[in-house]
Amino acid sequence: MTTDSQLAAARRKTRRRLGFSAVHLVLYFSFSLNWTPASTAIQSVFGVGSISGSIIMFVLLVLAFIALEFLFLRVERESKA
Amino acid sequence: MNQLIVLLLSAFAALPAWAAGSIDGEVERQAVNPTAIVMFVLFVAMTLVITWRAAKSTTSSASFYNAGGKITGLQNGAAIAGDFMSAASFLGITGLIFVGGFDGLILSLGAFGAWPVLMFLFAKRVRNLGSYTFVDVVSQRLARNQIRVVAALGTIAVVVLYLIAQMVGAGKLIQLLFGLPYEAAVIIVSVLVLAYVAFGGMLATTWVQIIKAVLLLGGVTLIAILVLARADFSFSQLLNMASAQHPKGDAILSPGVVFKDPVQIVTIQVSMLFGTLGLPHILMRLFTVPDMRQAKLSAFYASLFMGYFYIALLILGFGTIALLYGNPAFFDDAGRIIGGTNMAAIHIATAVGGDILTGFMSAVSFATILAVVAGLTVSGAAAISHDLYAEVFKQGKPDPKTELKLTRIAVFVIGIVAILLGIAFENENVAFIAVMPMVMAASVTFPILLLSLFWPGLTTRGAITGALVGMVASITLIVLGPQVWVSVLGHDEPLFPYNYPALFTMPLAFFVIWLVSVTDRSERGVLDREAFDRLLIQAEYGTPAQSEKPGH
Repeated sequence: MTTDSQLAAARRKTRRRLGFSAVHLVLYFSFSLNWTPASTAIQSVFGVGSISGSIIMFVLLVLAFIALEFLFLRVERESKA
Repeated sequence: MNQLIVLLLSAFAALPAWAAGSIDGEVERQAVNPTAIVMFVLFVAMTLVITWRAAKSTTSSASFYNAGGKITGLQNGAAIAGDFMSAASFLGITGLIFVGGFDGLILSLGAFGAWPVLMFLFAKRVRNLGSYTFVDVVSQRLARNQIRVVAALGTIAVVVLYLIAQMVGAGKLIQLLFGLPYEAAVIIVSVLVLAYVAFGGMLATTWVQIIKAVLLLGGVTLIAILVLARADFSFSQLLNMASAQHPKGDAILSPGVVFKDPVQIVTIQVSMLFGTLGLPHILMRLFTVPDMRQAKLSAFYASLFMGYFYIALLILGFGTIALLYGNPAFFDDAGRIIGGTNMAAIHIATAVGGDILTGFMSAVSFATILAVVAGLTVSGAAAISHDLYAEVFKQGKPDPKTELKLTRIAVFVIGIVAILLGIAFENENVAFIAVMPMVMAASVTFPILLLSLFWPGLTTRGAITGALVGMVASITLIVLGPQVWVSVLGHDEPLFPYNYPALFTMPLAFFVIWLVSVTDRSERGVLDREAFDRLLIQAEYGTPAQSEKPGH
């Protein structure tokens, strides 16, 4: 691989890294919506029985973060192949 | 209701320290706990054997700093988790859920949120550009001596502040759990950490952290299963039991019992996420693996362990509400939980597992402190002997024997300083000291590390100015905030309303770095900008020698 093509590939990877980070940060800071009037909507969207929507959102966010990392590893591996 | 008010007040008093990785707030010395002491002695014996074995292979500064780069991704992920899952997480977050229900989860998510970003942005690039510390990474591109001095001093400041918070927390926690005097607890922690680090270096530290992580995750799992068993293995049933017991009822299942202001929530989120990404002792762990693939896997496994841990704490937290409230065995005559809210996690172990489980979890909590302090000590020693002595004073060509000797001397100095500061700050309000390292890491180390890896326009002048502004702004706003202005200096109202100013100081640091860099017309600035493409390739593909290794 030439330096120019390596540089182009590295820039693509930079965009991918920043893209994944941006998605993560949006999800991460969305948790603060629980302390705003949007909390009512979160309860109705996610709430199941006695488990509040806020608690389910917490669990879903933790799982989503791990899934996002797994996806990132997969994408990195496939782009290398 | 009086009981709830007492609990809420104690939670507010201790909150910043919890979030920053320290135990603070009220503690009451408990009776000597022989089971806990026996289990802790077993842990110490096991880790000292490991240290003795590790000492044989710690024969150079390189092996001292990064364990010879032979730790696997899985092991390193466990060690990172062991380094970060502090006693504050286990005891403090469980205690906050006990007091305020759902609101305690903001600290769990804050503590967990940094790890995916660590993988996306830093794991591979930091591993490829550095050797032993994050300072190696930023000095690749910028004027090496100037940026090394600033970044190393930033590292030492963060490590010392974090260390004070940990030592004071350790003294109080051990008083709380084991019934030992405060000074004895501080000295025991320092002496053990000195033994681990001085002789076994990063290798011994890594195994102490791995063992601690396994014990903590095992203990938390066992308690979570036993708690769920009391609710017929139904989480929904557990929440019903909790809301029936808590004075606030169903309100604990939703936000608002402890925190009302969404800006306050965002300040906590920003400080915890970006602060964690700037912690030097966490970044240093990325250099203990053999290649960049293992570095990425380290971050992934760390996330898995910590994600599991914080979800288990959800069960433990609501378990404390369901099983402790209403049980007079865990409250004193004034209606306060015995030992303070930090003890809720230990009391739940007693409630579901009796004295044996209580002793085990107390010993694990002590081991947790050792693991965190050991990681900090390695990082501080490396900043002194590698970043300053070897790279600045000796221009990258130190005498290896002298460097290793200096490393060990630095470890002893840090240990003694930790004892002195721990004892000196015993009766001080250390909550603000616990906040500082996270805010400073977010406002000083994180911006220069991020921009050195991702922004071609960064210059040495911009990085140094921004780091200094970030540091001064962090200290100033913490002093003007509730933790110092009201709690320490005794004023009625704070001049700045938030405990965690990183929401403001970090953007300020970024802005100053950008402004100074784009207006920098110096020759050095031109060199800094020109170096970006070369380092971008090295960051993604490694050096030719690294690329030949398996896994690349």
